[in-house]
Amino acid sequence: MFNPRLVLAAFATVVLAAACRPEPPPPVAPTPTGPTAEELAAQAEQRRLDSIADAERRQREAQRQAQIEIDRRARAARETLTQMVFFDYDESTLTAETTETLRSKLAVLRSCPTVRLRMEGHADERGTSEYNIALGSERAQSVSEFFTGFGLADTRFSTVSYGEERPIAQGSNEAAWARNRRVEFILTAGEGDLGQCAG
Amino acid sequence: MRRIERGHSIAEGCRRPRSRVADSARICLLLLPAAAAPLAASGQETDMVIPGVDLRDFIVERYVPPIAIRPLTVLAEDAGLAREIEGIIARDLDYSDRFRVRDSLPAEFAGEGVQYALWEQFDVDWLLVGTVEPQGPAGGYTFAVEVHDIVFGSLKARATFPLPARDHPDFRLAVHSVSDAVVRWVTGDPGMAATRIVFRMRAPGEQDATELYIVDSDGRNMRRLTWDGSIATSPAWSPDGKRIAYGSFKSGLPRIYELSPGDGQQRLLVPEGHGQHHMPTYHPDGNSIVFAIVGEEPSGLFSYDIRDGCCLQRLVGGRYNDLQPVFSPNGDSLIFMSTRLGMATPQVYLRPVGEGDDELLSPFRYGEGGFFTDPDWSPCGDKAAFAGGIGGRRQANRYHILVAEIGGGGRRLLQLTQEGNNEDPNWAPDCRHIVFQGTRSYGSGVFVVDTVTGRTRLLVPNVKAEDPDWSPILAENGVVR
Repeated sequence: MFNPRLVLAAFATVVLAAACRPEPPPPVAPTPTGPTAEELAAQAEQRRLDSIADAERRQREAQRQAQIEIDRRARAARETLTQMVFFDYDESTLTAETTETLRSKLAVLRSCPTVRLRMEGHADERGTSEYNIALGSERAQSVSEFFTGFGLADTRFSTVSYGEERPIAQGSNEAAWARNRRVEFILTAGEGDLGQCAG
Repeated sequence: MRRIERGHSIAEGCRRPRSRVADSARICLLLLPAAAAPLAASGQETDMVIPGVDLRDFIVERYVPPIAIRPLTVLAEDAGLAREIEGIIARDLDYSDRFRVRDSLPAEFAGEGVQYALWEQFDVDWLLVGTVEPQGPAGGYTFAVEVHDIVFGSLKARATFPLPARDHPDFRLAVHSVSDAVVRWVTGDPGMAATRIVFRMRAPGEQDATELYIVDSDGRNMRRLTWDGSIATSPAWSPDGKRIAYGSFKSGLPRIYELSPGDGQQRLLVPEGHGQHHMPTYHPDGNSIVFAIVGEEPSGLFSYDIRDGCCLQRLVGGRYNDLQPVFSPNGDSLIFMSTRLGMATPQVYLRPVGEGDDELLSPFRYGEGGFFTDPDWSPCGDKAAFAGGIGGRRQANRYHILVAEIGGGGRRLLQLTQEGNNEDPNWAPDCRHIVFQGTRSYGSGVFVVDTVTGRTRLLVPNVKAEDPDWSPILAENGVVR
């Protein structure tokens, strides 16, 4: 039962191995009797462990990807919710652009019922400071009424007016004034749910 | 001739001031057609037109008597003391707008005794002489003061006042109270020298914060009162001059606090209630306040008992903004600003505290706009000041200080400022001067205008000060309250 091919292959392997690696090759002579039952069991166990580890790795990767997606959605939802809206001079009525922005917020608020918002109303420097407290308040309330008008619970919204006290643009010109006539949005609850609930 | 006129005004309408009277000024009187027969066109150039309101010149010509302060006799080893007291009193008498203060006295006028003939040649009607003596172990003084009537050649009044040591924090206030005594002796009217003015201003290096500051009535001794690191708003003195109520965002939501400027102690004044709390005013008895609740229904003006910490009660309000309440001196009525005629056209209303209808004080005409805010009730009860944006807020951010007679229904208005932007008028306890925040081409500051002569002065220059509030009298006859 002598197989010259097997011997040749074994020899070639040894030569190749010797050529690649300086250390002596491990004994590779095939055992005529094959692996023992213990060895076979150990190999099977190893394969099983490997496949478990692989599955776990894949699961972690999937989870990581899912978390990235959740974070991305949360970030997008947060950006949508906190994007400020702007107003015309001495007005608290919503412009078409403002309404568009509020509609996108509305979608997030609908799918995320735990989210609560504080609307902070601001005015430009024109007008007396006390009047501008009222104007900022009207602006914040216009936004609040937009949401409650679409059926959202008014308990989810609070307002505060800063009047002309906190400008984001300095200067006494239309460009600065236009930036300062605004409502800002602060998430006061439900921020942690945004990644799950937001679409 | 002069003897008869002294201390009395000569009002002559529709003419320019004659040169003889240095301190008279042009004041514009605004009249609604309903108040009087049609007026002749004045031809006056003006940047302000209230729709439906005619403008004409109104001249108050007033004889302002000259007064001299003889160098004080000081029986103490402090050479600078006399000059400091003389300087404070001279400026106070000037700022009272009731005297022309003569300085540069010839040397022979010093010394004992009062030679009326000599002083009359020097062309003064009144003469103040005084002696300062050390008193007590604490470094204080007694200040004996006489006011002589040079025209009639007699002693008008004499009194002795205690003064604290020169480095005592109340020293200047005590000297100011002597100035007020001189004004009272000569005119019979209260002065306003022994007072301070509180206002709010951005603190250096704090972008998002305004803090409270305080300054003496003569513009000296400005100092900071709060370090809240937040937005302080609308300070208002208590009737006893010991406390200041104001609004602050320091807890996140705007709330009303009370500050004691003496020791810096603070407390949350209204710890209950919904919405945002703003713009407090004390009831004249000092036991309750009225303030505005904004942003949550029911909104409007509410009273709160600050002595017992209870009894939040809504006085007025609706689906509009009622703001800036101020009590009448007797506590019967409130004036306030309201946007009930439209958000862009705030107006000033008067309302009885009990039952009754509101009365429009500002000159609103339906459909023609007008922007009137920042009302304040004169301590004498007969007038209200407010800031007016005439021609509508849409045209310019230029408001002027206006005075209306209570009960006049906005038909008769005195316009006290002619240039720049002017807001937040507040009466002095002499019922005559008004402090306000002004912006001119050369900068912003705290201004004071005399409602009788129209004379205006820049009290604190180069500050972006807002919401100035004039204290009541803080010291009388040398004694700090």
